[in-house]
Amino acid sequence: MARTVAIVEDDAAIRANYADMLKKHGYQVSAYGDRKSATAGFRTRLPDLALLDIGLGEEPDGGFTLCRELRAMSAALPIIFLTARDSDFDLVSGLRMGADDYLTKDASMPQLLARISALFRRADLLREPPAAEEVLERGALRLDMKRFHASWREAPVDLTLTEFWLVHSLARYPGHVKDRDSLMRDAHIVVDDSTITSHVKRIRRKFQAVDSGFNAVESVYGLGYRWNA
Amino acid sequence: MRLSLRAQVVLVALVLAVIPLVGYVHVKQMEKLLREGQEQALLATARAIATALHDRPQLLELRAGEPASGEMALILRSLARAESRIWIVDRDQRLLALAGDLKKRSASDEPPDLLTRVVHPVAALVLDRPSEDFDDSLPESEIGGAVAASALQGVPARRWRQSPDSRAVILSASHPVWSGDDVVAAVVAEETTNATRSAYNRAMEQVIGLTLIAFVAGALALLLFASRISSRLVRLRDEAEAAIDSQGRVRKVLAGSSARDEIGDLSRSFSTVLARLGEYNRYLEAMAGRLSHELRTPIAVVRSSLDNLRLQLLPAEAGVYLARANDGLKRLDTILTRMSEATRLESLVREHPRERYDVRDVVRGAPLAHPGKKFEIDVPSEPVWLRGAPELYGQMLDKLAANAVDFATGDEPIRIRLEPRGEDAVLTVSNRGPRLPQAMAGKLFESMVSVRSREGGAEPHLGLGLYIVRLIAEFHDGSAQALDREDGSGVVVKVLTPLDSGTGT
Repeated sequence: MARTVAIVEDDAAIRANYADMLKKHGYQVSAYGDRKSATAGFRTRLPDLALLDIGLGEEPDGGFTLCRELRAMSAALPIIFLTARDSDFDLVSGLRMGADDYLTKDASMPQLLARISALFRRADLLREPPAAEEVLERGALRLDMKRFHASWREAPVDLTLTEFWLVHSLARYPGHVKDRDSLMRDAHIVVDDSTITSHVKRIRRKFQAVDSGFNAVESVYGLGYRWNA
Repeated sequence: MRLSLRAQVVLVALVLAVIPLVGYVHVKQMEKLLREGQEQALLATARAIATALHDRPQLLELRAGEPASGEMALILRSLARAESRIWIVDRDQRLLALAGDLKKRSASDEPPDLLTRVVHPVAALVLDRPSEDFDDSLPESEIGGAVAASALQGVPARRWRQSPDSRAVILSASHPVWSGDDVVAAVVAEETTNATRSAYNRAMEQVIGLTLIAFVAGALALLLFASRISSRLVRLRDEAEAAIDSQGRVRKVLAGSSARDEIGDLSRSFSTVLARLGEYNRYLEAMAGRLSHELRTPIAVVRSSLDNLRLQLLPAEAGVYLARANDGLKRLDTILTRMSEATRLESLVREHPRERYDVRDVVRGAPLAHPGKKFEIDVPSEPVWLRGAPELYGQMLDKLAANAVDFATGDEPIRIRLEPRGEDAVLTVSNRGPRLPQAMAGKLFESMVSVRSREGGAEPHLGLGLYIVRLIAEFHDGSAQALDREDGSGVVVKVLTPLDSGTGT
């Protein structure tokens, strides 16, 4: 059965384009233009994944409200914010509400599709009993490549999809410097340097919440970052 | 000629100088009245004596040179005024009697008050003080003089004359003594003007003293007032000048902003203007971020449409246009990314934690981002500790290096130099190349200001690089400036950031 992706987006052209694209890739799409119709739709049938815009017509924070409602209905439902806003504040707020990832609207379709399929894979595996695992271990770091789950010294670290990809990109070849461009490529994003800086900042903070002595992500000035095992 | 407000007010205060003039005229008037009164009084004395002698010729049977005696002396004594001299002359101009003295007997001056004492030395310069030391002899010429002669003709007369040594002015008044229809003698009363003179002087001293006090007090008050106003204006001017700093940021004017007068109004309207200017500046600075935000939605429409189009079966030539559209989109993306970078950085530096780090490591890494370019790095052997964020410093250095690489001409390497100087760590990035345009001096570090004139190829330039440099320098509590090289062969960008003294964490 085809998976259902819900799009809540107030711009009709973007909504239709995304819906067409997702349909072509074999997803079933339910598109909503505002929060009310989306809430009503979600109550009849919960989608398998939701793409939410933050500003919805009259409601500048309608997406956040919707995200909270969805999370209350299902803890496992993958949610991606897709928005024109790119401030750190919105990003952090969105992720705190329980979204799995956050993309700005200038992201390309392949970037979005990569996230959607990754999140579906993770959702599938979480439902099934653990079978063959694909795990990357670097010292205290353990990355479950199928479930997109990271842990440090056996304590889970709650990373978003983008953050997970960044950590994976760095940890795959410890000691090698990854510049910002290749980090962006590996994480399926196109952003500016400051965004990478704040992503790394957030990653460090999440690891430090588990282990205050964490310093495996090292800045190499002028080049990028390096994983120190 | 520039006249300060204070000088102008002092000039205006000269109007007060009219006060002593008015006082002087008034006292002069008073003196005239006093003299008039003295003349009348003296004349009355002469008349009274003449009346007493009237029709009593036996009283006049006096011999010249002999002192008056009996009833005559009594009359003279009783009618005479203090400090006056009375003499009687007969038709043959023989002096019949002489009584009284022109000089003051007692020098019983009341003690001068404080004001008089203070003013006295000043007044002495302009007033002549009457002297009691004068020649009071009665010269022969006076006995036969006009005053007596006039009285002997039957007409009372009065006259002012100098004492023989010219040290005092003597007023004489005469009156005829009648016997029947004949004039038998003339009574002449004389007095010095010393008494009126003294009164006049006293009045003059008072006028001088009071007006001097009024003048000084008035001038002083005006001067204080002018000083206060001018100092408030100077403060306002200084603050207004300092309100926009060299980097174009607007501060607030505070001087006298609560004063309820015109200067307060001025200060308040300054504040309003500056606040509006500040808002406008902030609007411009936020413009890049807002623009990128607003453009994102239409770009998303274009991009998703293109992505969809690519999945369609298209004629071969459509691919060319699709590729071109994609290229254009990519350029737009770059612009957007650059534009939002500054905005993102602004919010990033607002809450970025600060740490203590050795900035030499950051500086040494600068060339790595620009492979194929020549750099000359010069860092001191001692650690250079800063307080801030090494990532951000690295980003700033990257912008500076990129800027230098873009503008560099010839083969000369780009020189990056770090040195501690006093309390600051001074970073200079210097490249050979064109000078800075004079018109843009001081604006280079503002948002969306670019001095690039040549076509930059595919890389769009929005003039945000140096703005980012400024943001990061300010995050380190420092400042950035761009200068021409001293020999004019290129440009030096200097970033000053305070050294971390190592105290605290």
